[in-house]
Amino acid sequence: MPSIASRVAAAGRVRVGGWGALARARRHFVPYLLLAPAFVGLATFKLWPIAEAMRQSLMASGVMVGTDRFIGWGNYLTLARNPVFWHSLRVTVLFSLVINPAQTAAALGLALLVFRAGPGIGWLRTLFFLPMTVSIVITSLIWQLILDPHAGLLNSMLAAGGLPMQPFLTSPRQALSSIILLATWKGAGYWMMFVLAGLTQIPGELFEAAGLDGAGTWQTFRSITLPLLRRVLAFVLVADTAVNFLMFAPVYLLTLGGPAGSTDLLMFETYKTAFRLLDMGRASAMAMVILAIILLVAAAEMRLLRADYGY
Amino acid sequence: MKRGVILLVLMLVTVLLGVRPGAGAGEAVTLRVTWMGWPRNEVMPFVETFEKNNPGIRVNIQLVPFSQLFQALEVQLRSPSTAPDVYIVDGPNTASYAARGLLLPLDRFYSKEELADYLSAGIAQGLYRGQLYSAPYVSSTQILYYNRTLFREAGLTPPPADPRTPWTWDQVVAAAKKLTGAGRWGFLFEQTADPYQILAVPESLGARIVSPDGLRANGYVNSPKFVEAMTWYQRLFTDWKVSPQGIDDLSTSQQYFGTGRVAMLVGEMWNVNILRKAYPNLFWGASPHPYFAGGKPVTPTGSWHVGIYPNTKTVDAAVAFVKYITGPAAAQQWFLVHGHTPVRKSIFKNLPGIFSEQPWRVAQYQLDHTSVPRPETPCYLEYYTILHETMRDIDQGAEVKRALDQAAAQIDTVCAKYRQ
Repeated sequence: MPSIASRVAAAGRVRVGGWGALARARRHFVPYLLLAPAFVGLATFKLWPIAEAMRQSLMASGVMVGTDRFIGWGNYLTLARNPVFWHSLRVTVLFSLVINPAQTAAALGLALLVFRAGPGIGWLRTLFFLPMTVSIVITSLIWQLILDPHAGLLNSMLAAGGLPMQPFLTSPRQALSSIILLATWKGAGYWMMFVLAGLTQIPGELFEAAGLDGAGTWQTFRSITLPLLRRVLAFVLVADTAVNFLMFAPVYLLTLGGPAGSTDLLMFETYKTAFRLLDMGRASAMAMVILAIILLVAAAEMRLLRADYGY
Repeated sequence: MKRGVILLVLMLVTVLLGVRPGAGAGEAVTLRVTWMGWPRNEVMPFVETFEKNNPGIRVNIQLVPFSQLFQALEVQLRSPSTAPDVYIVDGPNTASYAARGLLLPLDRFYSKEELADYLSAGIAQGLYRGQLYSAPYVSSTQILYYNRTLFREAGLTPPPADPRTPWTWDQVVAAAKKLTGAGRWGFLFEQTADPYQILAVPESLGARIVSPDGLRANGYVNSPKFVEAMTWYQRLFTDWKVSPQGIDDLSTSQQYFGTGRVAMLVGEMWNVNILRKAYPNLFWGASPHPYFAGGKPVTPTGSWHVGIYPNTKTVDAAVAFVKYITGPAAAQQWFLVHGHTPVRKSIFKNLPGIFSEQPWRVAQYQLDHTSVPRPETPCYLEYYTILHETMRDIDQGAEVKRALDQAAAQIDTVCAKYRQ
């Protein structure tokens, strides 16, 4: 009795001769058929809006609805001449350079911490993961209370310990770090899960062998754990980078780009340009720039952390 | 053949069931209204009264919180299928909506007598190029609230109650300096860094805040008088330190005043109700809005209007609702229920018990004599957004001339689209 798999394959195989790609496709159309719904969803909700934004970035927004004019690269040139855009880009790059390694390292650290058997370790993992279940809006608002410059939780603890109270979100020097803090608090547990999964993939025999050869904890970590986590860390870093480039809610709720433009991330500038300055064309151009940056950075990160091993 | 006949009959029945009599005289009309997110229990009685008096009209009202209102309206107004029939219009945005073809001109629905009941500043705010596009609903004015207890404890003369003799800003700062200290500040603007509130400062010095066509800011927002005014504003936070930095929300400002952490607050009339309800033990007084000596007294004004979407299929119902809700009776009732500063002269006349006493006496005087509405420009939303950010940077210590130069350049770029 032929197996189910071979019967499905046979059903998909039309008697078409030839080795070309089209011929091969015709022989194996079943998998494509099964992929179709997902692809339709992807095209409708991801690819088409991107194409639409690309089209809109080439138009000057008219005053009346429906009077947009085609101006080619005009919006991009306006952006290039706009000091506010460059400032926002600088802030976003700085933000990215700090938060992505920090969150990846935090995820790695937490994963190593909970990668062991023991009483209550499941509770600890849950505790670390819990912030992810709170919406970013609630997170931002609660952190605003914690970081309040005059009567917040953190400042009360500092004052009790005899340390000076800090301005946090109201200071141009501390506002961005405060947002990085709350974003890391929220995200570290989530990325920890991926690193944890990666850790469980490493064959136990390697650790045993290392132990037998007399390798210490640090040696083991450096020579076995870290290299074999490359693929997972690459994924975490790239995905985290993409997500952090799109950071919007904390800025919108807590700082509105301030104080003194110190938290003026690109997503917030894009939103402001679209809905406060009513310039959809320029906002779309900004969105395209963000997309290009994410693609470039992701490509660079993947190249840097490419894993040339298998197990 | 038989199966085909049955199928045909089924299809016919389905089609006939779907056909409904057209919207005739007896058919209910649904009016879609996007409204400001005031408390539901305060707004619904008005809606219910209207529906009772207009049995053919059903009102589908959406109450949107202030922080989301403008974005929600922008999204809704993008296409006729999602646009409301009647919507709440922030007064100074009238020109912007009108220029973008999102408001129906209302002149033909109002008689001269009806319009005469409105304060002139209210009508001015609803105009665009000489035509009335939004009906004034309520207005606003700003007065100086002060903490009587703190003034008495410091042995200072409090600001005067007479609206004809306001304190100068110098007098305010002098008192504020003496009242600042030990975790307390002397003075605070309720809506810190908000152009609605702060533009009264350069205007009091005699500065023009925008070009006559409302589309250019260079030479106005960075003029010497404007720079001088904003430098004075900055000194409140960075130099004299009589105002706390980092306050970005009017409810926080109200809290600071209510709990005695700030001795003087320039704020709107709504504080009368807020202080009575939330801080009943606070011993406070009201004084007119301060001004610059040698300049003229200028008070912020203007508030909500109501507009009709031009493509609405129910113009009659929309007009009926607008004229009802902004009409003399409902507007007066709204004042009594919500405490919103009135824009109709008849309300002052009908309630002498309130308006001849403090603090409403100050409010009425200012509404009649010192109110300066926000400029009529289709670019107000953009102008406001950029200036708001700049004022925030200024109270955080940014270099005033440079910040205002940059704001002027940005405004001119962004408002260019209205110049074509």
